Amino acid sequence: METPHYVAARVQRALAEDDRTTELGIRVDVRGEEVYLRGEVSCDERRHQIENVAREATPGLRVHNEITLVEVREPGEEEHL
Amino acid sequence: MREMRIAAVADIHLGEDLRGHYRKKIEGIERRADVLLVGGDLTRHGTISEARVVAEELSGLPIPVVAVLGNHDYHSDRNEEIVDLLRDAGITVLDDEGAVVPIDGVRLGVAGGKGFGGGFAGKCASEFGEPETKAFVRHTKEIAERWRRALKELDADHKIVLSHYSPVKDTLMGEPPEIYPFLGSYMLAEAADAEGADLFIHGHAHAGTEKGVTPGGIRVRNVALPVIKHAYTVYCLNGDHC
Repeated sequence: METPHYVAARVQRALAEDDRTTELGIRVDVRGEEVYLRGEVSCDERRHQIENVAREATPGLRVHNEITLVEVREPGEEEHL
Repeated sequence: MREMRIAAVADIHLGEDLRGHYRKKIEGIERRADVLLVGGDLTRHGTISEARVVAEELSGLPIPVVAVLGNHDYHSDRNEEIVDLLRDAGITVLDDEGAVVPIDGVRLGVAGGKGFGGGFAGKCASEFGEPETKAFVRHTKEIAERWRRALKELDADHKIVLSHYSPVKDTLMGEPPEIYPFLGSYMLAEAADAEGADLFIHGHAHAGTEKGVTPGGIRVRNVALPVIKHAYTVYCLNGDHC
């Protein structure tokens, strides 16, 4: 079995360099045959694309998509400097 | 002097899939702020089609918009065209330079650009060794020097530095320390501290924290969208009431 450390590095590179994703802020953890993706993105389509790219980079492993959607809220209180 | 209400955000990463979404969130911004500053990573891949979405979302607002590009906006090597496209849409884009935005008789000076990395004092790269390393460090050094000149030349009542990369570690808390050298450089803070500014706005560090301060005492705010979780944040300068 490939060393989990290198699998995680490969997925992270794929997510950064693949034009479908270009995501630099996703955390990738590999434990045995399980791949965990964590982080935040702004829409569901991006979340799915990240999972697709991660799956392609890890054939035979199980990918768990734990990425959450960031909800952009209306502006809150201002700060006085 | 009247208080100045500065709305700021970064890392909006717009694309076709988000067309119209951000604009909805900033409707009515003129009731809350006098100017909108956008600290880079306007797009995901730095393509022209994404930049068109950015122009549509940010143009035609009743308040001035000042922006810089981020590393994502350079990814497709179309950064110069993106700058032109956004300027044509009425957005002031700073590329290592300054601009004065007059607001009801008060002159707001904004200086900056994308910025770059290198790390922070004591744990940073130096211009030594391989040409690639030297080029990396020199890039930041040259940017910092241009910002210093731009700040010095700004004739304004308030001065703000607008950047994509961070000038301090404070606002990177939450990011893995191993990647700090790719998130910012102390040289950006040094330039601002040398000439003075009221506020330093940046983005880039999605997992960082909002508030920090430069060694010289300039307030730093990381307004990356995943950090502030709002369409923008408003900072009020020179006044108790906004």
